[in-house]
Amino acid sequence: MRRFEFLGRFSRNRGALVGAVLILVVALMALLAPLFFPVDPLRIVGQPELWPGEDPDFPLGTDSLGRDMLSMIVHGARATLLIGLFASAVATLIGVSVGATAGYFGGWIDEIAMRAAELFQTIPNLIFVLTIVVILGSTLTNIVIAIGIVSWTPIARMTRAEFLSLRDREFVQACRAMGMGDLRIIVGEILPNALPPVIVLSSLVVAGAILFESAVSFLGLGDPNVASWGRLVGDGRLLIRSSWYICAIPGVAIMITVLCLNLIGDGLNDALNPKLRDR
Amino acid sequence: MGNDRNRVTRRAFGGGVFSAGVVVSSLAGIAPSFAQGAPKRGGTLVATWGGGEPQACYVPAGGGSSPTFSSSKLFERLAKRAMDGKFEGVLAESWKPSADFKTYTLKIRKGVKFHDGKDMTVDDVVFSIGEIWKKYAAAAAMTDFAGVEAPDADTVVVKYNTPTPEFFFSSALCGIVSYVVPKHIYAGSDPVTNPANNAPIGTGPWKFKEWVRGSHFEYVKNENYWQKDLPYMDRLIIRYVRDPAGRAAAMEAGDIQIGVFNPVAPPDIKRLTGTGKFVATPKGYEESVWSTTLECNMRNPVFAKREVRQAMFHAIDRSFIAKTVYYGYARPGTSPIYSPNTAFFTADTYKTGFDPKKAAALLDAAGYPKKADGKRFTVNLLAAGWFTENGKIGAYVKQALEDAGVGVNLSVPDRPTSIKRIYTDYDYDMAISNQANPSEPIPSTTQYFTTDGIKKGVPFRNANGYSNPEVDALVEKIKVETDPAKRRELVFQFQKIITVEAPLLPLVEIESITVASTRVQNHSNDPNYLAASWADIWLAS
Repeated sequence: MRRFEFLGRFSRNRGALVGAVLILVVALMALLAPLFFPVDPLRIVGQPELWPGEDPDFPLGTDSLGRDMLSMIVHGARATLLIGLFASAVATLIGVSVGATAGYFGGWIDEIAMRAAELFQTIPNLIFVLTIVVILGSTLTNIVIAIGIVSWTPIARMTRAEFLSLRDREFVQACRAMGMGDLRIIVGEILPNALPPVIVLSSLVVAGAILFESAVSFLGLGDPNVASWGRLVGDGRLLIRSSWYICAIPGVAIMITVLCLNLIGDGLNDALNPKLRDR
Repeated sequence: MGNDRNRVTRRAFGGGVFSAGVVVSSLAGIAPSFAQGAPKRGGTLVATWGGGEPQACYVPAGGGSSPTFSSSKLFERLAKRAMDGKFEGVLAESWKPSADFKTYTLKIRKGVKFHDGKDMTVDDVVFSIGEIWKKYAAAAAMTDFAGVEAPDADTVVVKYNTPTPEFFFSSALCGIVSYVVPKHIYAGSDPVTNPANNAPIGTGPWKFKEWVRGSHFEYVKNENYWQKDLPYMDRLIIRYVRDPAGRAAAMEAGDIQIGVFNPVAPPDIKRLTGTGKFVATPKGYEESVWSTTLECNMRNPVFAKREVRQAMFHAIDRSFIAKTVYYGYARPGTSPIYSPNTAFFTADTYKTGFDPKKAAALLDAAGYPKKADGKRFTVNLLAAGWFTENGKIGAYVKQALEDAGVGVNLSVPDRPTSIKRIYTDYDYDMAISNQANPSEPIPSTTQYFTTDGIKKGVPFRNANGYSNPEVDALVEKIKVETDPAKRRELVFQFQKIITVEAPLLPLVEIESITVASTRVQNHSNDPNYLAASWADIWLAS
């Protein structure tokens, strides 16, 4: 029953519903990419700079080297979504661990964790990502790690705040009185209650991660062996006056995906946050 | 593609590159902008180039094209090369070798003043050659230098330990940063950190006025310039715009009148010349021909056999790169000496043209058949990220080599990382890089192939560890051969060996482009125009 209640609340937000449907389409596209386009998307297959519609073989045209834009967009959805999801997972893992520890134990552990978080927050995110990628090298894994490293602080702060307000509630005190260990209280009792706002935030980090990856690729530091949307925008930027579609098509794809993820975030917020239940 | 494009018509390369002629025919049929009528005096010219702001206005060791561009308007050299390939005196009036070619006697021009009013004397020349050239500007070319002295007030004598060919010596006088610098400013200081490097005092037609960092240099006319009536204009501004699209916009808005060394993206060249207000010309780069090269790191045992190296080149379609990546502003490279180099280029070399079947046969014969996974071996390909084109070429080369059964991991690191990985860590199997070479092959071309060119940590040398006693001996002969015809023959031989051995070969020779407003007159009239003094440029109304 509760599950339906959740879905009902989520779908009451029309924007969130549209977002979820579109993301589903993108995800399907990513999953089925090798089925529709079995050839390596980075293969040069035709004339360079064919405009969309100019050649029926390439409905979205070709880029400056003659690679199929449609194939790169579809395969790019894979790379882009994977980067987003994994980076968000990394950020959530770090953020929740740090935030939970800091909030639950308080004292000097809290001090150290929060000062560390502030240290990360004071460095401009994009510059930090670029620095990490330049030092570690431009591979997909390193980009995911770099985005995770800069994106965990809001999650940590949110988790800490939730833990601070929950740790002295009666049910937690009851657990303590029963002699439950700290780890079990954190993971088994407080975390499930603290999770809803964290999930909302994590869904937004996915969107942020996609933008970060795009920026990194745009600046030419992406993984050159992988077709991602950001890389396409970066490749096309020199041709923006003549063949603007090379930038525009992946740009629109990024925009739609990020917008949808934000809408889903809103929907999740409505569904999970009881205070706004009857907004 | 390409046939329907109205573009810059290019010289017939391989033919007389220095021959004059109509270079530009834009859509509107604008006449090329060489001197038309009497030069108009006064006014301000704003120039830019296809790169960023320099680290200092003048860098004694060169420091790349950016400081060369900014300092060459303020300082002068002893000689220059004209468009017809002849050497002409600038601050030296004449020079001649002794009978054994170990001593050169130069007559120095009189009546030349530095911008601070002091006379330029033979002492300044002796100081510049002995201290600045030997240690910084031309260190690699002066290994056999024995000393320099001034026997009288207008003569300078340069001595060498070994016979030195005249072409080599004359080229050294024209070295891109082989300037005559004021001894009274530089003596007793560390030239690299001398504050005058950021406000240079030279003898050139332009005087330094100010450097607004992040924006521009402002130079004003040198009223006491030794060449009467020059420069024509009152002010020269060198403005830096970070982005090619921004440069195109600034030129269209009329804020910048001339941009050298590929100021705008290739598709924009066509758009700008199409308006009839701009011309584009590939002239003015004959002494600084850029190429994109592919090299094989000999430390990887798969490249021990030269057949494997040849196969790599046979697998790649160089015309595709020239046509698609460079929009036709490049031509396939064939030899380590580039085709505009009329003094030393030969077409009679081993050709590694596009031939995938031959590549496969060579690899099979070399003992690298396709394994079960369809791959013969896998290499790390590094495309140096300082030019965006290199990344694109990397993507193409990856595909071409994979078609030949060679697995490729491509990386496109930024400039500092690329330099470190290629020249310090030797962390690559194959690299896509660039060089710019003058006509004289020693040392700029040969140091990529000789054993003494292997210098860990020194960029733009023999990174591959290629070492061949035959090549070393040949280069030593080229160094001391004073008979021009025999020397030419030796350089031909060098090209034949290198093209067969294929440790590093050009994929394409890049055609650098200058884009200028049709109002700009007397430009692109020096074989390295970026590094010329620009005394005679003027702006028609």
